[in-house]
Amino acid sequence: MLFLIELIESVRSFIATGGNVLYFVAFALLMMWILMIERYWFLASTYPKLREEIIAKWDARADTTSWYAHRIRDTWISEAAELLERNMITIKTLVAMCPLIGLLGTVTGMISVFETMAQQGTGNPRLMASGISMATIPTMAGMVAALSGVFFSSRLDAKVKLAKAKLVDSLPHH
Amino acid sequence: MKKMINYVMLAASMTAGMVASANANDLQKLLEQVKNDRISEASIDKKREAEFTAARADKQALLNKAKAQLKAEQERNKRLTKEYAQNEITLAQKAVELDTAEGTLGEMFGVSRAAAADAYGAISTSIVSAEYPGRGDILNEIANAKEIPELEQLEELWFALQTEMTQSGEVSQFTTEVTNLDGTKSTETITRIGTFNLVSDNGYLTYNDEVGQVQPLAKQPAGFITETASSFFNTTSGYTELYVDPSRGAILTLETRKKTLEEFYHQGGTVGYAITVLLIIGLLIALERLIVLGSVSSKIKAQQKNLDQPNENNPLGRLLVVYNENKNADAETLELKLDEAILRETPKVDRGINLIKMFAAIAPLMGLLGTVIGMILTFQTITLFGTGDPKIMAGNISLALVTTALGLIAALPLILVHSVVAGRSKSVLHKLDEQSAGLIAEIAEKESK
Repeated sequence: MLFLIELIESVRSFIATGGNVLYFVAFALLMMWILMIERYWFLASTYPKLREEIIAKWDARADTTSWYAHRIRDTWISEAAELLERNMITIKTLVAMCPLIGLLGTVTGMISVFETMAQQGTGNPRLMASGISMATIPTMAGMVAALSGVFFSSRLDAKVKLAKAKLVDSLPHH
Repeated sequence: MKKMINYVMLAASMTAGMVASANANDLQKLLEQVKNDRISEASIDKKREAEFTAARADKQALLNKAKAQLKAEQERNKRLTKEYAQNEITLAQKAVELDTAEGTLGEMFGVSRAAAADAYGAISTSIVSAEYPGRGDILNEIANAKEIPELEQLEELWFALQTEMTQSGEVSQFTTEVTNLDGTKSTETITRIGTFNLVSDNGYLTYNDEVGQVQPLAKQPAGFITETASSFFNTTSGYTELYVDPSRGAILTLETRKKTLEEFYHQGGTVGYAITVLLIIGLLIALERLIVLGSVSSKIKAQQKNLDQPNENNPLGRLLVVYNENKNADAETLELKLDEAILRETPKVDRGINLIKMFAAIAPLMGLLGTVIGMILTFQTITLFGTGDPKIMAGNISLALVTTALGLIAALPLILVHSVVAGRSKSVLHKLDEQSAGLIAEIAEKESK
């Protein structure tokens, strides 16, 4: 319990020094990971059943070579692919947005530095330091968030493509 | 020639001789007169001399009298000097006596004077003085007095300190005159929180000790802070949240100099407004797309459940109509006809989506433009005023940064919205492009059975 309180405190002080932009980074990171975990869950548990169903349905068909059969096969693949690729655009967008949010933090931090300069002059670097930490910490957080997403989202992308290709392969014209 | 000059000379001498004979009579008269005057002046002199001689005796008497007076005054002087010296000694003796009589009390009076001076500084600037005006005068008197303070004054000092102490721990409401920002005066009820803040219905007030007036802050702090003040003012019982300035006004004064978000926004200038327009247009397009795509996909879903009766109000229905018209054509012709119909539908679905993407890309670029403009202005300032005062430069630098921030702030939601809208349109296009043919094939198979 004490450990948790300590953790919360350290997060709070981190956000206090980094500024409110960190909330946006945290939100983007959270959304990104929720969507990615949902994708992994879908690929691991829901999709195999769907795949089995489609293959069984295809195997049950007598006619698999006519123009109509081709169109029906394409439709099934397309429907499966749509399910597979759902939210992938959003995940990639969120990954791309994280550094941008960090950059926003940099700019707002610099604004606060210059506001301090305009009010108090450059005499006291300590006053400016809080703005500078508000400028640098969100950038770092945005980078870290994006990096954490880049690897897994590209892995996920590859997995989805592989799953789609495998589905196409397992619907042979017999 | 010479002869002629001689004549002239002769004539001139004759004329002069005649004038001299005429003046001789006047001179005679003058002489007579002088003689007469001499006789009369001599008689006056004699008379005056006689008078002086008569007065001489009197003057002597006066001199004697004055001399006597001088002597008397000198005597008195001597006596007074002696007395003065005597008094000096007595004074010194008395001072010593006073010192002994005061004893350790002297130190106390010094302390009380210093305390009064300190208290005057604290109390005259304290907001409690807004409620109890005129407390500083007596303290000032004690602090600057040369004499030993009287018992009454000491009591006043104690009383003033005690009041300040007690009031610093109290929340009280009182009515006083408030000088508004436009110079008008109004009588208002305000709440004082200890020695920290004055709060009214409209937010925080300050006490200006130089003129002894209660004034509203030149600019209230951020809305959520001011709101707590108003809600605190209006609370009659129980507990409520309130932001208190423990520095007794210094933080609030700094707060008035802080820029609000709105002021920051307006610092972005024209570029900032242009970015805002871009953001609004982009969001409106996205909203329109979301509504249209939502209705289209729901209609397609409804059509999918009811494939037998094609409805012209959705793309899938229109494709079905095309199929029904070309039912008897061969597969190749049907495919061509369907492809044609799909091509007609596609632009309607993905219209405007690339525009959102473009806006999302333009917004940061416009921010960059603002940055560059701001930097140009900064360098212009440097050329004019030099780099001596960072405060002059800071204004333009903040313009540069604000536009960058605005560009990013506009780009982020646009990117997000674009990904959502693009996802929607992609799924509708998938339905039309890849799945509609399959649906039609299924129908055809059913019919052929």
